[in-house]
Amino acid sequence: MVPQEIVTLLQVFLFPGFLFLFCLAFFSDWMDRKLVAKFQNRYGPLYTGPKGILQPVADFFKLLAKEDIIPIAADKTVFSVVPMLVLALSMTPLFLIPMIDYSALIWFEGDLIVIMFITTLVIVAMFMGAWASTNRFSTIGGMRVGLQMLGYEIPMTIAMIGPAISSKSLSVSGIVQSQAVGIWYVITQPLGFAVALICLLAHLQRVPFDVPEAESEIVAGWLVEFSGKKLALLKLSKNFELVLAGSLLVSLFLGGPLGFWLPHPSVYFFLKLIVCIFILSNLRALFARFRIDQVLEGAWKYLTPLALLQIILVVI
Amino acid sequence: MAMERELLKSLAKKPATLCYPSEKATPVEGIRAKVAWDIEKCIGCGLCPQICPSKAIELTGKGSEAEITYYLDRCLFCGECVDVCPTKTIKTTSEFELAFTSRTEATIHYKRSKPSSNRKEKGC
Amino acid sequence: MATRIPFGPQHPALKEPINFMCEVSDEKVLSVRPRLGYIHRGVEKLAENRTYNQNLYLIERICGICAFAHVTCFSQAVEEILNIEIPSRAKYIRTILAEMERIQNHFLWLGDVGHEMGFNTLFMYSWRDRELVLQLIENISGKRVNYAMNTIGGVRRDITSMIMPSLKEGLNHLEERAKYYTEMCTKDPTVLRRTVGVGMLSPSDALELCAVGPTIRASGIPRDVRADDPYAAYEEIPFKVITYDGRDVASRLMVRLDEVLESISIIRYALDNLPNGDVRVRVPRRVPKGEAVSLVEAPRGEDLHYVRADGTEKPVRVKVRAPTLANIPTLCKMLIGENIADIPVVIAGIDPCIACAERLVFVDTATRKRWMWNKQELRKYATKWYRKK
Ligand code: SF4
Ligand code: SF4
Repeated sequence: MVPQEIVTLLQVFLFPGFLFLFCLAFFSDWMDRKLVAKFQNRYGPLYTGPKGILQPVADFFKLLAKEDIIPIAADKTVFSVVPMLVLALSMTPLFLIPMIDYSALIWFEGDLIVIMFITTLVIVAMFMGAWASTNRFSTIGGMRVGLQMLGYEIPMTIAMIGPAISSKSLSVSGIVQSQAVGIWYVITQPLGFAVALICLLAHLQRVPFDVPEAESEIVAGWLVEFSGKKLALLKLSKNFELVLAGSLLVSLFLGGPLGFWLPHPSVYFFLKLIVCIFILSNLRALFARFRIDQVLEGAWKYLTPLALLQIILVVI
Repeated sequence: MAMERELLKSLAKKPATLCYPSEKATPVEGIRAKVAWDIEKCIGCGLCPQICPSKAIELTGKGSEAEITYYLDRCLFCGECVDVCPTKTIKTTSEFELAFTSRTEATIHYKRSKPSSNRKEKGC
Repeated sequence: MATRIPFGPQHPALKEPINFMCEVSDEKVLSVRPRLGYIHRGVEKLAENRTYNQNLYLIERICGICAFAHVTCFSQAVEEILNIEIPSRAKYIRTILAEMERIQNHFLWLGDVGHEMGFNTLFMYSWRDRELVLQLIENISGKRVNYAMNTIGGVRRDITSMIMPSLKEGLNHLEERAKYYTEMCTKDPTVLRRTVGVGMLSPSDALELCAVGPTIRASGIPRDVRADDPYAAYEEIPFKVITYDGRDVASRLMVRLDEVLESISIIRYALDNLPNGDVRVRVPRRVPKGEAVSLVEAPRGEDLHYVRADGTEKPVRVKVRAPTLANIPTLCKMLIGENIADIPVVIAGIDPCIACAERLVFVDTATRKRWMWNKQELRKYATKWYRKK
């Protein structure tokens, strides 16, 4: 028998740990790009690998090889730390999500709170990065990052608390396990699912909530000064965020890796993840960008009350 | 929201563009593209270099010994030279892939094969 | 705290270099200062060194999108000096192509506005459908962008009965798509939110600042050269001047989309009533002494060309006033008080074509001084200069 330590190490680094997560991130990026391209009647990535599946990897390495510029006026330490911080922070929660089994690699009572906390920290890190780069566009982008968070953060948290209340567990794995005996929460809490979906879209800064990096308004927003390695890391962390958003939806509302007849639970997880990415990509292709005031207005006027309503319904 | 149906429909559709180097568009009838000279027919009247708006044609020699240098990189494919030529020496081709890596490649010399015999035939 | 944000000359929202220095405070624009001159190409000076026939192709390249409007305008001016009447078949063909160009431009514009609001799908779709009309144009003229169709004294190619069916079929398809976009733009909540009430321009401001084209028509004023001072075959073809009263970007959107439908019906009428006969008359190479101003309703608004001839084969002066130039003062007016997020949409709303507008930067080569003139100064200088002559 292989000693337990080695198994754990392999799990952390290979499957379902880092290596696997990297692959998953690249895959979901490819899938997102391909889907949006299809929606828009284009080809999308085409040449690198079969159907362009290696394009995100190629892009990543290309960016790594590019010149890395730090603006003279920037706060150098913060500016250099932020990309790593964002990457680390967006990757950590993925370890708390049960992907190949009913319980995650690491899990404890209350890890849902940790995930929420970390997603907020990511935003703070982005804001710091924007502020440290001292570019006018970055500053505006950073402001918008912060403002947008004020809008979607609360309804998102409330929407995610719904499944926790129903399952009487504050752990993602616990929620998944409780769906094994009951039904999927997407059926009992459709409102919560919708609110969480929209808020995650805002968290991912994708159309229609790509206000912080609105290309045609403020060039690239908070990302404007990052280049080379730093940009590569930030882009990669975006992919992780996409995976995280998808897997959160899958675990909290769609029953995680639960299924009936397929050989391995992870297969279910992927299928559901793909469905979630499909929905996210579809929404991305469907809308025009909102204005920041419209985002806030919408979040406070509609999303928060809806999320609260869902909680009330759950509690009753 | 109003576009959802179109979005789903285009999932099944073939993309609107062509995969260029492997698939190519067929040029339409009467496309105005690169022009070509059938230099043996040229009588050196000098009308085409005169009318060309972008000075893409250079005429050397006189009469039936005239030769043409065509600077493809300057040509804007207006087809004025085709219209003006009295002997229908110039024809529009349907060649539209006209990228070159150097200027010399884009300069085409139209030379006569046997200028002297040609002259005799014409008897001048 | 007011921050100054440069909008351009290099900016993803601007396809051409122009600079708007915007003073903003809390995402609101306080003041705007435009600066032109980044792509001044000296077309007018170049035109003085070319024959009239060669100038056609130069003028055509003032703008890649409203090429046909410019070249029609120029040919009309020269025809007026020559005092010739072009055959009526040529007039109809000019009308058909001008309207096709309008459709092409409006589809392009729709995609562009979509892109500015972050609606890339709209951008992809409308540019895909623009391909349809480009193909129709290619069928007629053999080219897609600069058609090389106009010539002094008529047009260079005829619309044969062979391509007639394919044209009509293409028009049907285009009509369907235009209707689809109209419906979509009136229904899609995100599009409405980004356009309704954005970039307001009151009718009085529009008149005072001399707005042209769809910009003024979206402020409820029916001003259209095609109706006010008909050229080509517009006198004989019935059509409506589209106006909307919304004064905002949404109205500009609707004006343009409705104009596409109107253009389609104009083209249909023109194709059905195409008179027989020649398409061009031969004109002398030398143009007699004289001058002329001609107006054309380009897709973006009124386009003005002034040509002065002195009896040689080259013009002495060609002056172009492209529609975008007329719309820049209105643009600055519209931007004040808007959100930063709306700047691109508002700028795109007038459908700017900067390369056309670049006529007003003066460089004194001796002192290397650059300056710009406003209207009064320009007028003063002009009167002085002409008095001297
Ligand atoms: S097509 Fe026009 S530009 Fe080209 S060589 Fe002939 S006249 Fe000159
Ligand atoms: S117009 Fe024709 S005949 Fe005259 S020089 Fe040109 S090619 Fe020769």
